[in-house]
Amino acid sequence: MNIQSVRRWFSRASDLANEFYNAPYRSAIARAKRDEDDLFMLLVFSEMMGVPNPAAYYTLELQPLMLERFHEWHQRMGMEHSPLDHFRCC
Amino acid sequence: MLLSDKKVLLIGGKGGVGKTTVSSALAVLAARQGKKVLLVSTDPAHSLADVFDKKIGDKKTVMRENLTALEIDPDHEVKAHIERVSSQMKRFTNPDLFPEIERQMRLTQQSPGAQEAALLERICNVIDEAEKDYDLLIFDTAPTGHTLRLLTLPEAMAAWTQGMLRSQKRSEDFDSVLEHLSPKAGKDINNPMADPQDNASDGMTDRTKAITEQLLTRQRLFQRTRRLLQDSSYTSILFVLTPERLPIQETDRALQSLTAEKLPVGGVVINRILPEQADGSFLAKRRLQEKTYIEDIHKRFKAWRNYSLYLLEEDVQGLDALEAFANNLEQAGFST
Repeated sequence: MNIQSVRRWFSRASDLANEFYNAPYRSAIARAKRDEDDLFMLLVFSEMMGVPNPAAYYTLELQPLMLERFHEWHQRMGMEHSPLDHFRCC
Repeated sequence: MLLSDKKVLLIGGKGGVGKTTVSSALAVLAARQGKKVLLVSTDPAHSLADVFDKKIGDKKTVMRENLTALEIDPDHEVKAHIERVSSQMKRFTNPDLFPEIERQMRLTQQSPGAQEAALLERICNVIDEAEKDYDLLIFDTAPTGHTLRLLTLPEAMAAWTQGMLRSQKRSEDFDSVLEHLSPKAGKDINNPMADPQDNASDGMTDRTKAITEQLLTRQRLFQRTRRLLQDSSYTSILFVLTPERLPIQETDRALQSLTAEKLPVGGVVINRILPEQADGSFLAKRRLQEKTYIEDIHKRFKAWRNYSLYLLEEDVQGLDALEAFANNLEQAGFST
């Protein structure tokens, strides 16, 4: 038997095995991602309604990242300075 | 059994029903029975120091043999948290942004829920650290508010971080932070053989590494604590109430939420019941009224053990009075 065709067969068999093994997990992960997206929307909405969001307090370390991204954003939008009074990045 | 089997007791109840006195006396009773006890209060009004008639503060203070007390100040916790976050993050941030970051941190300090959030994190840390040094932790703290929130925190942190970091610039940095906080963290679907012990922050910039490790540590702390609090062999929640209309209603509502979230309730403590020796026709009438409330309590809360404590002639203040009150608790059935 040709070594190349053996290799090809192994590679195909391995791909199939992976798919077979992973298939049930993919849908679980997709569902988990959807749930996470929904939870995020819920948190944002609740905050708008005045329900304190402790997740924001516990992820305060993200603050500097947010500030920088906001700064980059307004620059990309063509605004020289931050358009928000209470978020002064420059 | 409560005192000998469990490692964490949370004592809940409306203000003024005797929560602090009951938790302190319980702590004394357990200490007397040879358990190393840590008694923690989160009341900013220093009710614990009042009951023991001794200053305590935010450092572990020995009250008697086997008994150490600690008062956590929510305000102080918020400030400490914010300072920690600020100093860590400043290491990696453009100094031009420092004033704005500081300003925003100050605002966070005052936002609603910040104190409760800080308190919850501190409680989780206390439970985490105290496990090796103490046999029993007693929290003189109403469990409903913070505890219920704890139950969804790990997922909320992941969802929030994911929401905050996605959609914009899809950079490798951000993707790695997300990946590690979300539920499938560590499980690479394309490589089922990947070792989940691999260092979570391999391959990131210093800054995102620092951020990820911080957030992960915190998320894992909440996960561990959540598991402990929902474990009925580890934790028990006692609710204190007086035989009066509003405390009964509040307790009913609280116990329903706790049970719905599968938090282990261990019993209700009926405090300040009029004893037989409180004589006179005036009190006889009050005792009749009280009897109907007590029957109501036994009916509503029959799923749990009901402990009865009687009104004393004098306030319980100071260690001696607490030792005496601990006897009453023993008689009420607390060490059996």
